[in-house]
Amino acid sequence: MRLIRRVIQNLKSRFRNGSQHGLGLLVFENTSEVIRAEQILKKEGCDVSVKGPPPELRKGCDLVIEFQLVEELRVRRALQKQGASALDVVPLNSELLQPVDIFQTRDFGDYLMVRAANMKITVDKRSTVIVNISGGGCPDVPYLAQEMVGKKLQDAPTPGDIGHTLCGYALQLAYEEIQQQC
Amino acid sequence: MSNIVDARGLSCPQPVLLTVEKMKQFKAGKLEILVDTESAVENVKRAVIGNNWTVEVVNEANGEYNIRATKT
Repeated sequence: MRLIRRVIQNLKSRFRNGSQHGLGLLVFENTSEVIRAEQILKKEGCDVSVKGPPPELRKGCDLVIEFQLVEELRVRRALQKQGASALDVVPLNSELLQPVDIFQTRDFGDYLMVRAANMKITVDKRSTVIVNISGGGCPDVPYLAQEMVGKKLQDAPTPGDIGHTLCGYALQLAYEEIQQQC
Repeated sequence: MSNIVDARGLSCPQPVLLTVEKMKQFKAGKLEILVDTESAVENVKRAVIGNNWTVEVVNEANGEYNIRATKT
């Protein structure tokens, strides 16, 4: 926690004169809060997206929410209304952000694999049964795989609901993408 | 028909897909699956168990793993 605060202070100093792109980061204590906040803000119609944090903020399986700084008050109120709050708000140059929504699709004949960021989901095209989930390195990946592998796409729990890390989030993106393709 | 799946050097999901295909071919009996990463071991074990086969033993030597699976 102390480290995060120190990094935030450094970032604030660096960007004291404001972001070149009018973007800000919402920093949360853990990824579960990020995922919940994203749901709240999207429901409120806020223009937000989840990104990998800049290297200064990264400590493993992290996520931050990118938003338009002009919407800061609206964002804060929306979160507050739902009992959520960011650890801090950091103006930021978007060049520091790493996107987590890059998809890669590979066709293995009877099977289709979609990779989003560091997570891969593979489905039997005919039955839509999930045959494999791999990647990541986050602690919840074995749990996600345990809960989802062997189930049909439409019957499997949603990784966004049961995951708690960047891997869970990336898997959610892959899951949504493969649903569209199958 | 060989009962060995040599998935060494392959990245996920290929070891799992090869194993699943082999289980479909054999339906029952004994299989040996060769992989060379721990994550492949975990993924293959999950696929084996998920298809109602049993993981009998996993042997490791020099960074390579031999997974023996059975179904009666």
